[in-house]
Amino acid sequence: MKKLVTGAIFLAFASAGAWAADDVTLQLKWVTQAQFAGYYVAKDKGFYEEEGLNVTIKPGGPDIAPTQVIAGGGADVIVEWMPAALAAREKGLPLVNIAQPYKSSGMMLTCLAETGITSPKDFPGKTLGVWFFGNEYPFLSWMATLGIPTDGSANGVTVLKQGFNVDPLLQKQAACISTMTYNEYWQVIDAGITPEQLVTFKYEDEGVATLEDGLYVMEENLKDPAFEEKMVKFVRASMKGWKYAEENPDEAAMIVLENDETGAQTENHQKRMMGEVAKLTAGSNGALDPADYERTVKVLLGGGSDPVISKAPEGAYTLAITDKALQ
Amino acid sequence: MSWIVFVTLFWLAAWAFNVWLARSAFGQTRAGRITVAAVFGVTLLVLWEGMVRGLEINPVILPAPTAIAAKFAASGHLLWGDFLQTFVKGALTGYVLGCGAAVVVAVLIDRSPFLARGLLPVGNFVAALPIVGVAPILVMWFGFDWHSKAAVVVVMVFFPVLVNVVAGLQATDRMQRDLMATWGASWWQTMWKLRLPAAMPFLFNGLKIATTLALIGAIVAEFFGSPIVGMGFRISTEVGRLGLDMVWAEIAVAAIAGSVFYGLVSLAEKGVTFWHPSQRR
Repeated sequence: MKKLVTGAIFLAFASAGAWAADDVTLQLKWVTQAQFAGYYVAKDKGFYEEEGLNVTIKPGGPDIAPTQVIAGGGADVIVEWMPAALAAREKGLPLVNIAQPYKSSGMMLTCLAETGITSPKDFPGKTLGVWFFGNEYPFLSWMATLGIPTDGSANGVTVLKQGFNVDPLLQKQAACISTMTYNEYWQVIDAGITPEQLVTFKYEDEGVATLEDGLYVMEENLKDPAFEEKMVKFVRASMKGWKYAEENPDEAAMIVLENDETGAQTENHQKRMMGEVAKLTAGSNGALDPADYERTVKVLLGGGSDPVISKAPEGAYTLAITDKALQ
Repeated sequence: MSWIVFVTLFWLAAWAFNVWLARSAFGQTRAGRITVAAVFGVTLLVLWEGMVRGLEINPVILPAPTAIAAKFAASGHLLWGDFLQTFVKGALTGYVLGCGAAVVVAVLIDRSPFLARGLLPVGNFVAALPIVGVAPILVMWFGFDWHSKAAVVVVMVFFPVLVNVVAGLQATDRMQRDLMATWGASWWQTMWKLRLPAAMPFLFNGLKIATTLALIGAIVAEFFGSPIVGMGFRISTEVGRLGLDMVWAEIAVAAIAGSVFYGLVSLAEKGVTFWHPSQRR
């Protein structure tokens, strides 16, 4: 009992005391994979340590919504897509983008050529697979931009809630499915379908790209200078990690593999993923380009009868952190 | 702060009232018992509401009951569509098929010792499979619509009902069966007049367990791929969208549907097994 009390007192002091200021918990959007290589590299290479940070990286998964984790106080900073973050902000969870390591969107719709789809005009009457759980916003915005209803009516498309795998395409249960350039697309290829048998529509090319994988924190935390300072260090070290990963993709992929506790990832897949991810992070020094932000907001607002967000958000991003981190 | 004070006072007052009610003569009547339960339920809701307001809990973590009720009222057509898809098409179809198959198989097993040794372990094996493992496979086999959800439900309800009916068919004792034999009753006559009625309490036991399993199975199976309708679909997407009031509204629908379903099966049980000691007052 005495031990327990001492332990409890010790813990209470520890969490309120000096080291706590340097603890950062990062909640990833998805499972451990090269999509988040920059953070793992920064941790593995000691970039966080150099800044005096003790960073915990929490992997996500199909049943983890980063927005909810941060709302419940389970993380200091999260990796999230901007559509989900802005939608959460409108729902009363004030998230703020503090950095944007990803410049381009890796999202696309991958269709079987045999279905006869050659352009978005051919979508009506087809079944399309979409990820939900907050990942449906870019798709819904795109369809609204095209003026295609998603209710399964004759001149609209039937939407399937696809699991986080590519089976609906392989099983021909859907004409098209959502894929990421760095992940699911290659799962389709690995399943024995050649690129010639596929037709892909990149959101980036269709003009409906939204920002992915930004770093978000709670607005009220930013008012605390100590927290702000911590985030400056965190962003600086993370971007160092990202640039290192871009330059050394194979090493970065191996670092990711070492950190994958589930052991589900393979070397081949991660190296390829790192190569694709590097294309998306290229051109970003970590600072959010307000023009990209404005484009994302425009896409999300153009949602027709059911827009993702109903009005342009205010204060949804800050350049203060990256200005200090990258000077 | 005033909300906290108010709910604390309300809670104590309701508690005192309920204690007084339960001890009074009215509390012993049927209406009295229902009132006591109702007061308890209402107190919980008021406590919840007051705490959420008083402590200013973020609705993303826990919405207030009034917010949930408002959402419930505002999205009636959505909830109804989800209910039809998940409960009526998925759960109920799977329930009828699964329970029906279990009864038939139980009779077959009883008829043949060969099957008893062969089929029961297989049933046991299937029941031990986790739903998260079975659901994606069945979605692949039967497609994304309600058919795969019904299949998951069949897998889930089959074994509990089977085990119960098999046990029920063995519930008659030697003397009773010998008596039937003395009267020259055939196997079918013995089955129909003696053994199936004797198995009824067991059957209903299994059926009642299966009601809740069916609903759970149908909802969880939708997490692994579904059209954009259904209770499981709504719950999993609205969590991602932080629409927690909608998630709770779906939970309310599931709770009501599950309770009514269970109640109906219990009523049927009362009618069928009126002779059983457990139904005596």
